[in-house]
Amino acid sequence: MTSLPLYQLADIVRSKNAGPYRITFDIMFTDKARYEAVRDGGAITPETVAAAYGLDVSQISSFFKIDQAMALKVTIVRPRAQGAAGEGDMYGCQHHVPLMNIAVPAM
Amino acid sequence: MEKSKSITVLTPTGTLGYGFGAEALSRGMSLGPAVIAVDAGSTDPGPSYLGSNKPLVSDYSIRRELKDLISAAHQAGIPVIVGSAGGAGTGPQVDRTVALVRSIVAELGIHLKLAWIYADIPIERAKAAVDAGEVQDFEVGAPLTTEILDQTCSLVAQMGHEPICAALEAGADVIIAGRACDDSVIAAFPIWKGAEPALAIHMGKILECGAFSAEPFAMDVMLGTVHADHFILEPGSSQRRASVKSVAAHSLYERENPFSQGGPGHIMDLSSCSYQQSGQRQVKVAGARISETDEYYVKLEGARLAGYRSVCIAGIRCPTLIKAIDGLLEEVRAKAIAYFAPEEVIITFHLYGRNGVMKDLETAAETGHELGLVIDVVADSQELAHAACHQISGGLLHYHYPDVINPSGNLAFPYSPSDLDLGPHYEFSAYHLMKVTSPTEVFPVHFEDL
Repeated sequence: MTSLPLYQLADIVRSKNAGPYRITFDIMFTDKARYEAVRDGGAITPETVAAAYGLDVSQISSFFKIDQAMALKVTIVRPRAQGAAGEGDMYGCQHHVPLMNIAVPAM
Repeated sequence: MEKSKSITVLTPTGTLGYGFGAEALSRGMSLGPAVIAVDAGSTDPGPSYLGSNKPLVSDYSIRRELKDLISAAHQAGIPVIVGSAGGAGTGPQVDRTVALVRSIVAELGIHLKLAWIYADIPIERAKAAVDAGEVQDFEVGAPLTTEILDQTCSLVAQMGHEPICAALEAGADVIIAGRACDDSVIAAFPIWKGAEPALAIHMGKILECGAFSAEPFAMDVMLGTVHADHFILEPGSSQRRASVKSVAAHSLYERENPFSQGGPGHIMDLSSCSYQQSGQRQVKVAGARISETDEYYVKLEGARLAGYRSVCIAGIRCPTLIKAIDGLLEEVRAKAIAYFAPEEVIITFHLYGRNGVMKDLETAAETGHELGLVIDVVADSQELAHAACHQISGGLLHYHYPDVINPSGNLAFPYSPSDLDLGPHYEFSAYHLMKVTSPTEVFPVHFEDL
């Protein structure tokens, strides 16, 4: 089966602070078939997202499939609190790239 | 007021001071809003605004926008509510915004009743709660302790809608609230007028970012109208529309759990919400449910002074240095730590082009012909931070390494001075839930007739 990076199927892949101790990622679709293919395709799971960031899966704090919004949502525990010494992304808004590059099955 | 009556809230922008369109405001006002409500802060910009009490947005921008809003509201005979004034909603930030309101009202030559609400939590109050076992961790991963509270220089709590309703009940025309739940700022007026709290709070969650829930999104005017069993969202500008997609997307924004969200004294259940397009520009939302919690908890936000920071910005162009950089930085770090011991210095190398943004989470292969380096030093005093930063930048500038081809200098500094003092470095120290005796206990309201 051929595969594509997630960003070629999703309309939006974004990251953002959800409070100072979490970064939340939203993967959003406008096409229902694409949403369902990614939702059910097994390539985007807590385990694969953790692997994309070199995190232990215990650092994935939640994972949601939101049919009403045709979206997947995954949240990680921030390795460093927002604004702590050594931290590099105050809004958590530039953490989406490893996620958007995860290979998902082509439709 | 009877529950069947609809109530429209106009939110001019996502953050007071970040702007809105004149056409959007005038069109929005023509739709007959009952209140203008806007958020002015968040933890999003980081702990510095909480710790330092310095404003997030300039006085210039706050004054300019508040003047437009107060003027429009005065003409329409409706109140203006500002939440999380000044960025973090601390006492000095509330006072600063209140001073701007006094000056605007004097300039406009109008009279109104001003209210302001503090959200500062006395450290002793929080310590008593810790001692009584009435503080719970939210997401820090560690309990709040009296020791941490002793280090905390700024402590606020997020108010719910109740203190704002108290100010409305007393006849306030302009309300400047300290730290408040974003949604409470929007929801307060409709709830005070008898709207269903679940609908009003859910509407607040979407409206608080202004036209970020519209398309094309922007910092601009958004309106929400609460009806008996649903609410309607519509952007102020005729150049924008609300769509099911834009509204549903926003309901996920900046929050972890899309279905269940706790707030002061309540939990919202959003699992059965429906979003329906109404005409080209409106979205109808229904289905939020609310349950009150047995005890009323508020979220604390605290900051502590964690040192002083100096930084140095430099570019690296030589391929021999780029190849050797990881080892060199570690050598330089070890030398600096040994040099300043027993004084402690926290050294971070933000290495752009490598892992400057994501640090340990970066997994990409190394590429690129140049690197950007920010040497970031935090220490107990500004003098020590500066000394260590320059010891590192100067040391790295002339550091010898095998394969060096250009021994005259390793770093391209864009600036002289090369080392910049950024002042106090604050970190979050509290992000916990504290039980209060009533929704208004720790949020005193003050009034002044202008």
